[in-house]
Amino acid sequence: MIKTESLTKAYNGKKAVNRLDLEIAEGDIFGFLGPNGAGKSTTILMLVGMVEPTEGKCFINDIEVARNPLKVKEIIGYLPEDVGFYGNMSAEQNLDYFARFYNMDAHDRNARIEELLGLVQLDGVSQKVGGYSRGMMQRLGLAQALLNDPKVLFLDEPTANLDPESVFQYRKLITQLSEAGTTIFVSSHILSEVSKVCKTLGIISQGKLIARGTLEELKNDFGRVKAENRRIIVETIEQLPEIRHEAIINVEYDKTKRRAIIEAKSDIRDYVSTLLFEKGVRIREMRMEEPTLEDVFLSVYQR
Amino acid sequence: MKTYFYLFIRGESEKMEAKGLFNVALKEFIDHLTSRKFIVILGLFLIISAYSMHQGIDNYNNELESYKEQISQITEDKAGGTSITIESEYMSEKPSILLIFQVMSFQMVSLGAILAIAMGFDLVSREKESRSLKSLLSHPLFRDEIINGKALGGIFALTFAIGIALLISVAMLLLFSIVPDLDELCRIALFGLVSVLCLLTYFSIALMTSTISDSSGKSLIYALIVFLAISFFVPMVGGIVAESVVGDPPEPPMFQHEVPPPSVKETESEEPIVIREVPLDEEEWQLYEEESNAYWQKRRGIDDAILTIVPTTNYLTVSSAVLSKNGNVPMFGPGYRSETTSEDVLERVWKNILALIIFPLVFFAIAYIKFMRMDIR
Repeated sequence: MIKTESLTKAYNGKKAVNRLDLEIAEGDIFGFLGPNGAGKSTTILMLVGMVEPTEGKCFINDIEVARNPLKVKEIIGYLPEDVGFYGNMSAEQNLDYFARFYNMDAHDRNARIEELLGLVQLDGVSQKVGGYSRGMMQRLGLAQALLNDPKVLFLDEPTANLDPESVFQYRKLITQLSEAGTTIFVSSHILSEVSKVCKTLGIISQGKLIARGTLEELKNDFGRVKAENRRIIVETIEQLPEIRHEAIINVEYDKTKRRAIIEAKSDIRDYVSTLLFEKGVRIREMRMEEPTLEDVFLSVYQR
Repeated sequence: MKTYFYLFIRGESEKMEAKGLFNVALKEFIDHLTSRKFIVILGLFLIISAYSMHQGIDNYNNELESYKEQISQITEDKAGGTSITIESEYMSEKPSILLIFQVMSFQMVSLGAILAIAMGFDLVSREKESRSLKSLLSHPLFRDEIINGKALGGIFALTFAIGIALLISVAMLLLFSIVPDLDELCRIALFGLVSVLCLLTYFSIALMTSTISDSSGKSLIYALIVFLAISFFVPMVGGIVAESVVGDPPEPPMFQHEVPPPSVKETESEEPIVIREVPLDEEEWQLYEEESNAYWQKRRGIDDAILTIVPTTNYLTVSSAVLSKNGNVPMFGPGYRSETTSEDVLERVWKNILALIIFPLVFFAIAYIKFMRMDIR
């Protein structure tokens, strides 16, 4: 559904996006990760037809964006980072103004606006948008992006200003949209958020895609770099005995000696459980720490 | 009020395919009409116009009264068999109601200009600041539809403002039992058109600064600088430039004096130097006149060329020509004369008319190019 071929954008000779090759399938929720200034927003701007690429091409539903920006805009929705509206108009008036650019008659527009305002919990808010909080603006931005029932939805830092309840609603909505076949492209640096909603991920650094795959794939490929030394957490009812193994690098006991964090070169959980069983120590909990998205992210950047 | 407008639009425009340019222009037009600054400045403009009209009407009535008295005096003299030739030659013309509108032309270049600048200075910069431009551009419309729509919305709003001002003026005339004839009505309409062109110049300047500036504050400052530069600085500098190009005017021969060359004898005797006046030579005087005419013609040519980049001068020149029934261009503009035909007037003011059309186009073009090339990030 989304495809880029050597997509490049340079500002004053400096490449913000550098030969980006990307392919995102229909119905996917793609998380686009990267630190500030990595080229995430520029990539989105090229994909939504607002910025012309310096080199390369990008396609949405097989339509080349630079050649047919209007055709593309008819099938996409875009929530910009720090979305803005006309402060002198109400939410309904703002949405109605934008909806007029699509082939929607007044009845369709009214129905769609009512539905969307309900969806983002802004129905019944009569005040002008100028008086909205950032969170309300963000929710209105989401409604605005969904006006034309898009096939592809681009979300740039969608949860940056949302409260926990709105974040929950947002996740629910994104999942529903994906199930209905909408392709969703989420750009964010809030890793926990991305890991909760996205099916596949891409990590961009200095305009280049440096990692791509599902969260599991990335954990397997990159998580181990960071978590080369495994961390096993053991909690017992009785006091822990001395744990010795050639793979162990370090063992940290707490004051009660009923909890320990074992740092080892390999997974030695079987050894530890056998040892504790033999010593008659009952295990309350034993787990190996999984690499988080943060670990993956950092390991990719530290490479 | 705005809600009412939107409901109205929703009802009316759904019949047509309201997209792109039309949508933007309509929104901008409504935004102007419902904005506080537009209402306040337009209100002020209308109040001052109405007051000036009232004064103008009083003056017109007084002049008319005096004209009538003169007519009745002539009629009495004629009946009494007195010669009227000399009196009728020096008698004043019947006053025209169009003179009342000349007062309005001065307000147009002051309050009207402020209104136009106030309407345009934040048109694009405000959208950049509020980031609504990015939201707008994510929907299916071309960039040029936005800038053209903004310009069109402004043109409609300015036309509306001028239209209201002229309607009130004509209504006041009728209220004072002054009925303009068809020719006068046409001239009033033409005056309205010229006024729209003048205000469009200032509006386009503001739109241009709004497009090139990243904040509305800066845009307003730039717009005011351009406004002051072309309204006051250029005419001021124009005279200096013209003088420096053509030099000093030729000296008249009657002021020429002859100083006898000092001789050795005179110097030695230490007698005072005697300056002798030379009698005026006819040929010399003729030569001086020719040189002087050529000098002033050249200087006026340069002055005129410089003044055509001053919208105020162009506007006052053209509006004076439109509002003067005998085609007078009394105070402003190049080479004014007291009595001229319509063709003469058109011949003299065509440059000003052209400038009034070209200037808004130039500033719009700059705004357009800048907007189309603007980085949206």
